[in-house]
Amino acid sequence: MFKKLIEESFGKSPWLFHINAGSCNGCDIELVSVLTPRFDAERLGFKLAGTPRHADIVVVTGPVTRQSLQRVLTAIEQVPEPRCIVTMGSCPQSGNVFRGSYAIAGPLSKYVPVDVDIAGCTPKPEAVIDGLVKAAEILREKRRAMK
Amino acid sequence: MLNSIAFAQTALLYLGYVLIFPGFLFCFVVGLLLTGIDRKVVARMQRRVGPPVLQPFYDFFKLCGKETIVPDAASRTVFLLAPLVGLASLVVLQLFIPVFKFSVFGSLGEVADLIVILYLLLIPAVAVMLGGASTGSPYAGVGLSREMVTVLAVELPLVLVLLSVARVVGRETGRALVFSLNTIVSFQTVSGSLITRVSMIPAALAMLMIIPGETGSHPFDAAEAETEICEGLLAEYSGAPLAVFKLSHAVKLLTMTSLFVALFLGGLGTPIAQLVAAVGLSGELAAAVTMLLQVLALVLLCIVLTVLTISFVHAVTARLRIEQLFKYYWTVVTALALISLVLAWYGY
Repeated sequence: MFKKLIEESFGKSPWLFHINAGSCNGCDIELVSVLTPRFDAERLGFKLAGTPRHADIVVVTGPVTRQSLQRVLTAIEQVPEPRCIVTMGSCPQSGNVFRGSYAIAGPLSKYVPVDVDIAGCTPKPEAVIDGLVKAAEILREKRRAMK
Repeated sequence: MLNSIAFAQTALLYLGYVLIFPGFLFCFVVGLLLTGIDRKVVARMQRRVGPPVLQPFYDFFKLCGKETIVPDAASRTVFLLAPLVGLASLVVLQLFIPVFKFSVFGSLGEVADLIVILYLLLIPAVAVMLGGASTGSPYAGVGLSREMVTVLAVELPLVLVLLSVARVVGRETGRALVFSLNTIVSFQTVSGSLITRVSMIPAALAMLMIIPGETGSHPFDAAEAETEICEGLLAEYSGAPLAVFKLSHAVKLLTMTSLFVALFLGGLGTPIAQLVAAVGLSGELAAAVTMLLQVLALVLLCIVLTVLTISFVHAVTARLRIEQLFKYYWTVVTALALISLVLAWYGY
């Protein structure tokens, strides 16, 4: 009984941890706008967590610069299992306009398995919510596969 | 043989008290419900849709299903036991608070409840501090010092409020001070709720201001400020221990609001009992119906008090700095409680 309850809860209460990996701040602002009264992601149970220990979904923005790579990987390791990794914006997916730069270590998928990519520069809040809901579904599946 | 059956029955009854009715299950359901209602009301006041009322239940079960990471620097025993000790002391505390006339320890006569309550209220705060500090996280360090200041700040007016209540009841029953919550509540069922007395109104106001401080909600949440110090003492917690801490936080809402009901609104159970008698019920059935209605009334009052003291305040205030919090409690709230104490001492 509890197993089912826990599985269901995973889809309904995903907490986000946001890492800025050299982003231009556009995606960061857009992620916060998802939590404002207009879009109110909290109605789906999303909450911004202050520390990776409390998080379920890691949202990475920015092209993953060489400076930030190790920090991003360390932060992701701190998140307890099961966890989901979401890239937000085109930068962590492809490098976007920074592609080919000597300062860029991305894309992120070279280093960790990415579950959801939210494309756009910057993605619309609707797209972000859609991506996060998909991530929450994946989170539930991961929990189901655990035991 | 008969003796052992009676013993088994009593043991079962007390087990039921601890695990089900005023104990664990009741605390779990009502505490999380109060948190859910609080979040919903705050959201509605900010013109949001808000999370479903059952959201804290989802959060709790989700956290139970997460991996628990124990930091290398932490002492494993303290880190994992602290949340359980905190929750257990809150559940015990809930046993001491009478639901109108019903009290678990009613058959034992007068028990020095108010002083026990003061001690038991401290234990969850101490448990959070111990668990958080054992991780060695710098966020926990900052949270620790702030939590300690908050506890100190809230304790003084709380003691004064309890003293003035003890004095009012003591005066009327011909003693100096009455510390037994059972006596305080049964006194109110006879001679009306304490909040109707002039001398008790400042104390009730002070108590209303103590509730958000004691539960660490806005604007008195400097100790667990999630935007600046990552929930402070909880920064290193994850998985089931974090879920238990979140649960204790929710249960504390129930504890503080039902303590307020017991101290100042204890007379409200009388009309319910009269109503049941007027309908024409009697005997066991009447007792059961009265009990049920009184529990419902208690839950309703707790919801109203939570919305009043926590949600409204949360929606309209920003976080105070720790020294502002301390100053506020030791001037405004303490002054209110002192006025009450002086009035009570001279018999108003």
